[in-house]
Amino acid sequence: MIHVFSYHSDHYVYDTGSGSLHACDERTAKYLSGEAIELTDEELKEILSLKEEGLLGAPETSARPIKSHEVKALCLHICHDCNLRCKYCFADEGAYHAAREMMSFATAKAAIDFLLEKSGKRKVLEVDFFGGEPLMNLPVIKQTVYYAKEEAAKRGKRFLFTTTTNALLLDDETIRFFNEEMENVVLSLDGRKEVNDAVRKTVNGKGSFDAVIEKIKKFVRARGDKHYYVRGTFTAKNLDFSKDVLFLADQGFDSLSVEPVVTDIPDLEIKEEHLPQIEREYEVLCDEYVKREAEGKGFNFFHFNVDLEGGPCLEKRVSACGAGNEYFSVVPSGDIYPCHQFAGDPKWKMGNVFEGTLDPVLRAQFADNCLFTRKKCEGCFAKFICSGGCSANNYHFNGDVNEPYEITCAMMKKRIECAMRVLAMRKIKEI
Amino acid sequence: MIKTIAKPAEKKVTGCGECRSTCQSACKTSCTVGNQSCERITREQKIDEQK
Repeated sequence: MIHVFSYHSDHYVYDTGSGSLHACDERTAKYLSGEAIELTDEELKEILSLKEEGLLGAPETSARPIKSHEVKALCLHICHDCNLRCKYCFADEGAYHAAREMMSFATAKAAIDFLLEKSGKRKVLEVDFFGGEPLMNLPVIKQTVYYAKEEAAKRGKRFLFTTTTNALLLDDETIRFFNEEMENVVLSLDGRKEVNDAVRKTVNGKGSFDAVIEKIKKFVRARGDKHYYVRGTFTAKNLDFSKDVLFLADQGFDSLSVEPVVTDIPDLEIKEEHLPQIEREYEVLCDEYVKREAEGKGFNFFHFNVDLEGGPCLEKRVSACGAGNEYFSVVPSGDIYPCHQFAGDPKWKMGNVFEGTLDPVLRAQFADNCLFTRKKCEGCFAKFICSGGCSANNYHFNGDVNEPYEITCAMMKKRIECAMRVLAMRKIKEI
Repeated sequence: MIKTIAKPAEKKVTGCGECRSTCQSACKTSCTVGNQSCERITREQKIDEQK
């Protein structure tokens, strides 16, 4: 299958079977789109040559992935409480529809033991500390990190840790700890002060921007070349979100991710009628992204990162995200869920780290999930990049983990086209 | 006119499982497999660069 698309006056062809991206002129774009247009012998020869090389019209795989049962990663809900009350929080403002509580070290230790035991031959394991607000339970994070490192070393394994935080409790000591121990740190901030403060409020109902901005700047200055993301959310209230991404870049943050909100709250929810504006915003952002990069003032925007040359193998591309099979969430009680977005829903409880159990039926169901169990994806050009999208999103909006949510899909497809545009502009610069 | 901009690097091994879990990235809501790099290729490139 080929996907022909235009960006401003430029034309591109993405070949799903080979994963190749080509730039072409308007005539060739029209011809490849199926329009009745006569190409010259030279033009036809170019197309034939790419076909012979297997870079255009290449057959697509339909082979189901062979999935291992090694567990790679856990999301530890280290704190089911939060010191903010963000309106759009999928986690019920940190409580996950239950009592506000902290994860004990006993639970975190049992989770680490569980991961080590279920990880088979895998050498590199991943743990992310998530909430609520993880820094409300920093002592247990530290204990867990030191315990995990010690146990991993005994087994010839190692851990990569991530923490997601709203930065409210970030201080010099925590920054030092993060820089020593965290492979990645994700700091939540939505962008412009008025945008952030409309939804990210303290427990007293005040905006949180002023309380965190200098802390995040200090963290980023101290971070050096280690991984981090300043991560925002956009809602129906700031459909001009390119301004928020660029505002964050202007603060000196050079690794950014701004995501569409996942909510059904009426004044915040992304609806179908918002899509044209969102698609335009991605283009505005993409143009500025390319411009700043050319000027030597570039930054990293997570969704413009699609890696066509060194990206994942086909096996990975059809395997979906791995939730419920190689990745799980553990809540303070020790209960296990397929991922953080399923946490707290009894229907999706898969086991408990103290018992070392995983529901074999649910796990088999998640292990079976892949691109080819998502029938809507069959005719989509983005399928080998998004791998069928987010199971939790699919379930929450359409009631079925294998039923992709069309609005998410539309945004994903636009982001992928923009990411391809970025690749194309870099290539032109190289030439 | 049609010119190739990007094509996947030839992979000696596929399905090795060495790659990181998709949900360990930035988003936690819009996981995108294609945003990841192949850990094996990245590692082999680093070794080549050090030679």
